[in-house]
Amino acid sequence: MEERRDSVRRLAGAIARSALGAFGALAGVAATACELPPGVRVESERLSISYWTIPAKIAVGQPFVLELAACPKTSEPVSERVKLDAHMPEHRHGMNYRTMVVPMGGGRFHSEGWLFHMPGRWEFRFDVGTEHLTHSVRIE
Amino acid sequence: MIRLFFCALILIFTAEAGAQFLDFTDTEKRAILRHGPWPAPWTPDPTNRVSGNPEAIALGERLFFEPRLSPSGKVLCATCHAPFRGWQDSRARAFGHADADRNTQSLFNVRYNRWFGWDGAGDSLWAQSIRPMLDAREMGGSQAHAAALVRADAELSCRYEKVFGAPPPAADEGVLAGIGKALAAFQETIVSGRSPFDDFRDALARNDLPSMKKYPEAAQRGLRIFVGRGNCSSCHFGPLFSNGEFHDTGVPFFIKGGVDPGRHGGIRKLEANPLNLLSAHNDDLSGTSAVKTRQVAIEHRNFGEFKVPSLRNVAQTAPYMHDGSLATLADVVRHYSEVNPDRLHSDGESLIKPLRLSAAESQDLVAFLESLTETASALPPRRPGTACVTRP
Repeated sequence: MEERRDSVRRLAGAIARSALGAFGALAGVAATACELPPGVRVESERLSISYWTIPAKIAVGQPFVLELAACPKTSEPVSERVKLDAHMPEHRHGMNYRTMVVPMGGGRFHSEGWLFHMPGRWEFRFDVGTEHLTHSVRIE
Repeated sequence: MIRLFFCALILIFTAEAGAQFLDFTDTEKRAILRHGPWPAPWTPDPTNRVSGNPEAIALGERLFFEPRLSPSGKVLCATCHAPFRGWQDSRARAFGHADADRNTQSLFNVRYNRWFGWDGAGDSLWAQSIRPMLDAREMGGSQAHAAALVRADAELSCRYEKVFGAPPPAADEGVLAGIGKALAAFQETIVSGRSPFDDFRDALARNDLPSMKKYPEAAQRGLRIFVGRGNCSSCHFGPLFSNGEFHDTGVPFFIKGGVDPGRHGGIRKLEANPLNLLSAHNDDLSGTSAVKTRQVAIEHRNFGEFKVPSLRNVAQTAPYMHDGSLATLADVVRHYSEVNPDRLHSDGESLIKPLRLSAAESQDLVAFLESLTETASALPPRRPGTACVTRP
């Protein structure tokens, strides 16, 4: 029962952080003040992102979590309309799961529901507002 | 003359015993090593608080062989999952009280699965264990019947209390979940033993050439097809030889009176199951185990997709495919050799193509598949049951 209460507290905390994040986003994460945490860097014209997975090494058939931080290169704040997905271009199919993305505030996002079910090249697809970024990884 | 005959026999045997080691490339070696080590590590199922509990295993074993779970008293779990038939029934399609539509899957290594059943309608082994009890064609029981049996039978009731710390509850659904969890605890002990392939794979890992040469050359050639141009290991991946997901392999899915929707129907059943991992019966309070159930995507391409079965002990589990339509391993190899890509019902997934194997190559692939069979059972010895005694 105590564990259930903890879980509710954790969820409430995440919602509160998310609300603060929304405020931060509305206030605009200024390009100059934005620093990306260590991770895989991907760039587009108007956005820099850094992403990392938990666990760090992705294994075939094992679920993982992906976290993402984004910094704008313009004065536009980072959009909270974020869609994350992955695809196997050579096989012409995606994952068997849809990811759930939770904004954590300050341009950071937490996502669950990742699972790469085959070895080979997978392409991460990051849609942040109107920006579309991709990054390929090879999974063995 | 006799001496000459024996010399010839020894020569033949030595050649058959795999005197040669194929010069596998580094890519092939990496792919081969991914299929082990065996047995793979395993941790108790967090969704089942009695997973790995010896008392639960003992109760689960009793329930597995309990005919009264079926109201007719004629069908038990072991009717279709017979231990002496590789924990399946050797029939094309399951038969309890009537014919079912699909082949009975073996229970070997079932604990390593992410989804259960050909369509993955079960997201836990305990939820899946309940399904046949309620199917009219299989055990033909009901929630109320199973719960009443466990409450009324002194031995089962006593064991239930020992395992769960309380007598069977008043709510039938709670008792049913408990039955499923005990059955799952027992089935988690059904693990296959090491095979000739495992010995070869481990010898390869330590670069032990004399041990590698003990693996028959035909099996080595078949292995090369399996991890190479056959592309089999893309889906039959890892130590279990299954990626745990679903694919259309071009096997017809027409059944009497309609089509078998496969994974598409499985996801629908999963969503409707009151005992899925999103329910209060899931013992994993972290919520991690329920992510797959919450996030699974239902797509049009799921029609006609069925789970990739493990290939461990595959020689013991004929017939093959979701409908049991292929009688032998040679038939399965022929299917993939001659598969018609036009019959594949997918959104352009281009993994499965006709392999066009020669007769010799087909035999090699069969030799490899047969080498995945255990050389000795890894099952724990069955202990004679003692009567359950409740604390005064």
